[in-house]
Parts: sequence; structure tokens; C-alpha cells
Amino acid sequence: MLHRLLFGLLLTAASTMSVFAHHGWGSYDASKPITVTGPIETSKYENPHATITVKAADKVWTVTLAPISRMQSRGASAEFVGVGKTVSAYGYPSTVEKDEMRAERINVDGKTVEMR
Amino acid sequence: MMPHDAFLILTALEQSGLAAAIRQSMWAYPAANVGHIVALTLFAGSVAIMDARLMGAFAATPPADVVRPARRMAVLGLLLMLLTGSVLFTAEASHVGSNRVFQVKAVLIVLGLSNAVFTGRAVQPLLDSAPAFAPMPRCVRLSASFSLGIWVCVAACGRLIAYF
Repeated sequence: MLHRLLFGLLLTAASTMSVFAHHGWGSYDASKPITVTGPIETSKYENPHATITVKAADKVWTVTLAPISRMQSRGASAEFVGVGKTVSAYGYPSTVEKDEMRAERINVDGKTVEMR
Repeated sequence: MMPHDAFLILTALEQSGLAAAIRQSMWAYPAANVGHIVALTLFAGSVAIMDARLMGAFAATPPADVVRPARRMAVLGLLLMLLTGSVLFTAEASHVGSNRVFQVKAVLIVLGLSNAVFTGRAVQPLLDSAPAFAPMPRCVRLSASFSLGIWVCVAACGRLIAYF
């Protein structure tokens, strides 16, 4: 009886886990969307997410983008988000890291690329 | 969150050439990610079969004929998990290492492995002699259910690192 119960628990845990598996947006406040605009000061085109720092009017923001294979396939190459480019990033501020936000989409040179 | 020295070591690991190569490669990180999940299915599946037998399921088969092959697969799955997990960890060592859920996961892994060694010792005489339908001793049944519980929690922690 005990092993049937535990087996059931194992299966339940496995199936619920797949339900909430693909987010990674948990520590960002989606109720306070912001747009960060300015020149790109540093750019790391790396996994698991590319990150750039943007000198906005108020402060320097760290902007978390997407995995590099996704960015590449949507036309956002390393050069697209290279240092010196002017970017406008729409996204949500982190509830954990100060001055960090995660971009829902970015616009560079009039071209918009979705990050999600 | 963690001792300063440990944090410095993890930062050095994260800044190493190996870690940079993992992050800058288009496929290394996603490949390790996929490999980690595939290895998890192998590991969790074999552990579940092994533990279920020790808890009294599949009683028509002598315990040794279930436990020994399942244990080989579990060890293979564990090694693959360690390999792929090290790649994922190295890329973001200081962030993952200071993540509270990862710390809980690490403690649970040590607990799970210690329990496996303990269970292994307890079942050794049984594997050499017990026939089909032989009742499992209470301590073996308990440590097998403990094992299932721990590994489910380890898997859950692994998924939850991204959310805390």
C-alpha cells in the first residue's frame, strides 16, 4: 500500500513539474512594465541569457535578454546588440537584483525583436 | 548566504576560460540542459524501480534480479547527471551556488547518496539469498521510501532554482 501511495506521489510530482517548467520570469514584476532607452555600454552575448547594460536617463540598467540561439534565430545577432548601439527595451524590473530588468522585446535601429 | 571564501572560489570558477567557453558556445549550455533532463529520466526511472522492489512491489521476481540491473542504470544516470550538472553549474557558479534552493538541493543529494549507501549495505545479504515473495525487512522498506521522497525533492529543487 505504502509503495502504491509513494508511486502515485512521484507521478503527481513529475506531472505538476512539467506544468510550471517554462517560465524563468518569476523574479520580475510584470505589473510594473518599464521602457529603458539609451546607448549600450557593455554587451555579453552568452548563454543562458545575453545581457547588456544600457545608459538610460536615470541610471545604468542591466537588461537581461534571451538565450543566444533564440536571439540569433530572430535576427538579434551579437552585432545587433553591440556596444554603442541605441536600444529601447520594454520589460519588467527585477524584484531581486537592483537596476536589473528583463526585456520582453527590444528595438534597435527601428527593428523590434521579441525576447520571450 | 554562503561563506566568503566559498563565494570567491565559485566566482573564480565562473570567470574561468572553461566557464566562458560554455556560456559563449551556441550549443554547450542547451545541450547540457537537455542531457541533464534525459539523465534525470534514466536516474529517476531506475531508482523508482529499485526502490519499488525494495518496498515490496514486483514481488514475483527475486529482489536481486530487479535491484542489480536497476542499480547499474541508476549509477549510469547519476554519473551523466553529475557531468551535465557540472557544465550548467560552472557557467553560473556564483549565482547558482548562492541560490538557496540549490543549496537545499546539494544537501538533499548528499542525504540521498548517504541513504543509498546505507540501503546498499542493508540489502546486500538479502540480494544474495532472498527468493521471490520474501518479505522485505522494515528498515529496507523505510529507507527505500525515504530514497524515493528525497530524489523527488531533489528533482523539484532542480526545477525551482530558476524561480528563487
